[in-house]
Amino acid sequence: MRKNLFNVGALVRGMSTTFSYMFKKKPTVEYPSVKKQHAPRFHGLHELRRYADGKERCIGCELCAIACPANAITVIGAENSPEDRRSPGERFAARYEIDELRCIFCGLCEEACPTDAIVLTPRFEMADYRRGAFVYAKDRLLVPPEAGVGTPPDERPNGIPADLGGVFRAKDTVDIAEGYDATHRGHILKTQRRGLTLRQAKGDDGRPGEIE
Amino acid sequence: MSAAVPQTDPASHAELVTLSIDGVEVRVPKGTLLVEAAKTIHTDIPVYCYHEKLGPAGLCRICLVEIDGMPKLQIACNTVVADGMKVHTRNPRVDDGRRAILEFFLLNHPLDCPICDKGGECDLQDYAMAWGSGSSRMIDPKTSKPKAVDLGPTIVLDEERCIVCQRCVRFDQIITREESLRTEDRAVQTIIATATGKPYVSDFTGNVTELCPVGALTSKTYRFRSRPWDNHRTTTSCTQCSVGCRMHVDERGNTVLRTMSVPEDDALSDSWLCDRGRYNVGFVNDERRLTMPLLKQDGAWVQIDWADALDLWAEKIKAALAAGGPERIGAIGGGRLLNEEALLAAHLHRALGVENLDHRIGTQTLVHHGSFANHVDLENANTIITLGRPPSQLAPVLDLRIRKAVSRNGARLISAGDYAADSFVPETHVTTPAGLKDAIGANPGRVAMIWDGVFFEGGPELTAAMHDLPAATRVDRYVLPETPNGRGAEALGMIPRGAGLGTGAMFAAARDGKLDVLSILGANPVLRYPDRALAEDGLRATPFVVVTDLFLTETAEFANLVLPVCSAFEKSGTTTDLAGDVLPVVGSVRPPDGVLADGDLLVELAERLGVTLPMPDELEAKVRELVKTPPADGAVPAYVRATAAAPGGALRVIADAAIFTGGGTLAFDTAIRELHARPHARINPATARALALADGDPVNVAGDNGTTLYDLVVRVDERVAEGAVALLDGVVRAPLNALGRAPAVRLEKVPVTA
Ligand code: SF4
Ligand code: SF4
Ligand code: SF4
Ligand code: SF4
Ligand code: FES
Repeated sequence: MRKNLFNVGALVRGMSTTFSYMFKKKPTVEYPSVKKQHAPRFHGLHELRRYADGKERCIGCELCAIACPANAITVIGAENSPEDRRSPGERFAARYEIDELRCIFCGLCEEACPTDAIVLTPRFEMADYRRGAFVYAKDRLLVPPEAGVGTPPDERPNGIPADLGGVFRAKDTVDIAEGYDATHRGHILKTQRRGLTLRQAKGDDGRPGEIE
Repeated sequence: MSAAVPQTDPASHAELVTLSIDGVEVRVPKGTLLVEAAKTIHTDIPVYCYHEKLGPAGLCRICLVEIDGMPKLQIACNTVVADGMKVHTRNPRVDDGRRAILEFFLLNHPLDCPICDKGGECDLQDYAMAWGSGSSRMIDPKTSKPKAVDLGPTIVLDEERCIVCQRCVRFDQIITREESLRTEDRAVQTIIATATGKPYVSDFTGNVTELCPVGALTSKTYRFRSRPWDNHRTTTSCTQCSVGCRMHVDERGNTVLRTMSVPEDDALSDSWLCDRGRYNVGFVNDERRLTMPLLKQDGAWVQIDWADALDLWAEKIKAALAAGGPERIGAIGGGRLLNEEALLAAHLHRALGVENLDHRIGTQTLVHHGSFANHVDLENANTIITLGRPPSQLAPVLDLRIRKAVSRNGARLISAGDYAADSFVPETHVTTPAGLKDAIGANPGRVAMIWDGVFFEGGPELTAAMHDLPAATRVDRYVLPETPNGRGAEALGMIPRGAGLGTGAMFAAARDGKLDVLSILGANPVLRYPDRALAEDGLRATPFVVVTDLFLTETAEFANLVLPVCSAFEKSGTTTDLAGDVLPVVGSVRPPDGVLADGDLLVELAERLGVTLPMPDELEAKVRELVKTPPADGAVPAYVRATAAAPGGALRVIADAAIFTGGGTLAFDTAIRELHARPHARINPATARALALADGDPVNVAGDNGTTLYDLVVRVDERVAEGAVALLDGVVRAPLNALGRAPAVRLEKVPVTA
């Protein structure tokens, strides 16, 4: 019993560590009003890129789908028509879906993509009450037409894109310092949020539609 | 060498030679090509231009191997084995050679694998992975050539991807003999084009997409729809005609995407498919498929429950049995069903005493009269006689055997009667018995007779002449059933016996009010029965008509109750081919919700009627036994139809057949609308002159029964007899049977308005 009293010293030492932190800068951030800088190679929600002229980069080749270890991607290709050209070349993705609940954010899809169409952004806020809402289709993955980068391949001899294979260069356009908001899609969201326009559109059937 | 080692091949009696391939001793018959010899020890030598069925061409040189004692690398595809040869298929020198060849192939290749349909199953990809260098040394821009060239109604060509192996060209020369493709220009500018500059039209076009080792030739129906790794493959038998080619079905997400030939299927398809079997798959997922039983009430269709529908059917049968007996009930069809279903249908009706059963719609004879000779026997015939409509339109892949027999094995082809065989090989067309006797000659060798089962003009004399052969002659008879499983349906009992009525007699009896219930199981007699008016009258006069079909066909429109059923892609069982062999059918997709197979319906119906059907485990043995039983009477039918001479000025009608005709699976397949046969009127040049008609003119055909078929296109063809006109049968828009039986018609030119 007596012997234990001598341990007060240890107690004090321990508590002093605790108290010393009270005067240090707190690592906790006030999420969501404050957001933390991600690691440079953070893998978050996907987006589908476009070329500068607004054409979709995705050619519906399904290489991402076969590369995906989680079987999270579904692509169904179709043929471009001269009247409605979605992508350079003959083929485009008529349907492109990623089940973000299955996705393990490994980034293999990004690596497999021959046209840098699918890119993982640092955006991570996807919480929802509906399971179905995690299946992201083209309407939510594709960046708006004005957010395209790069020269589409069919303006070049033999249709080889200028930045083919430049996944890292394409990622450079993501400004890490600005966090997820710096991606094209994030940029749009930020503008919308500033004016408090984050709205939940109602679909035709009265159910909540996609978040825009 | 020890005496126990055989010196000749037991199968072909060819002398054997011994060589070594990569140090392994191989004994193969003399004359074997090195690539084939290597296969016997499972050594694969890469090939592009060589193909087992097309032979060597020596164009691509990817098959280089080193042979001891030869200064240069040799091509394995065109080098014949020799005794004591020492061959090396993998060593640094060979690899270097192949690497150099591949570099040449890839110089101008677009490498657009991500958008190429062949990506994932491409020989160029595979060999580039094995021998390609990974980067190109060429700094000049690649040669550009046209992409997505529309070659015809079925095929798209990418000139940039073509490696000019000429497999497609040789397929059209050697196999179909149609010679419609050729190479144009030279060196890097070489392209594939049609010989005529016109679209690539043939009944076998799809095969070139499979032969093409790269993605240069692609099918319109499959372009960009899937990737090989998405597809689930099932192997089944084609049920579009009575050949029953073995085929792979590729399915994705419960949609049938494409069918592919089975290269090992030497016995039936010889590894080819016709375009009907290959491309007519879109109907399976057509949105017009019926999914609920439909009952006609006051002239309108009402959807009802399966239980109610089956109860009603059973009730009507019971009522008919009680009121008038089994003579007041009939069933038509079975030729489009599986063997098991046909057996159940026949068994069920016979158990009730019903004898009015028939699977035949357009023909009157027994397909059973075909012998059990198989397709390879046809290849070995010395004299082939075709009677009736050309086999190329009724059993297309069988016709490739005829072409093979004539062009490569030296057989003679004789077509007798109204039709030419149209097989792209030399043929003798005879119309008189004397002509036929002359053509057959004194020493016909092995004879094969192919008949379409329709009694043809020309009288018994022609038949007699045909059968007047030297005593020892081996004769193989092939009767082409009008439906894919006609031979099976017949063997399994879907033919009238005793006092039973056939299809035509049933319609006549129905018209006279002698039938109460008529069940039509997967048949479309309104389009196919030779006398449409009789079929329609019969159906109208029958108080209760049940039709089982996938769609609301011409016949289903006359029904009181329509039951939606599975397609052959959605059920499993067996079918019988024209040679009397039982072939497996394996389902590849789920049927639409609420759709049952004909077999299921029959089982349900039997339960309601208190009939015990054979159990599923007895079915197979029963089917095999019945199908293999030769016909009891054994007699050869007389192939005769009374010729009605057309009155002055009018033309006699010959019924033409074409692959792409019909009202069910074809009419409801929108993806291949371009392939649907355009109704034509084929006439002799003399007739054309007399009527002032030219090839391509639009005409109306006025029948003697007051019916007119509108807007047919004139085809001038000297193979049609003078004073006759050949009209396509089974075209929904211009149904020949609406003109009535043995009609005489007049052609009226459609005035062209400016
Ligand atoms: S990040 Fe990985 S798991 Fe997620 S979709 Fe891409 S490949 Fe699949
Ligand atoms: S995202 Fe890239 S890899 Fe995936 S289908 Fe589109 S182009 Fe192909
Ligand atoms: S043909 Fe083969 S190598 Fe050429 S683009 Fe297609 S898949 Fe690639
Ligand atoms: S189109 Fe295909 S099959 Fe024909 S020559 Fe070219 S590569 Fe060969
Ligand atoms: S396969 Fe031997 S030369 Fe082409």
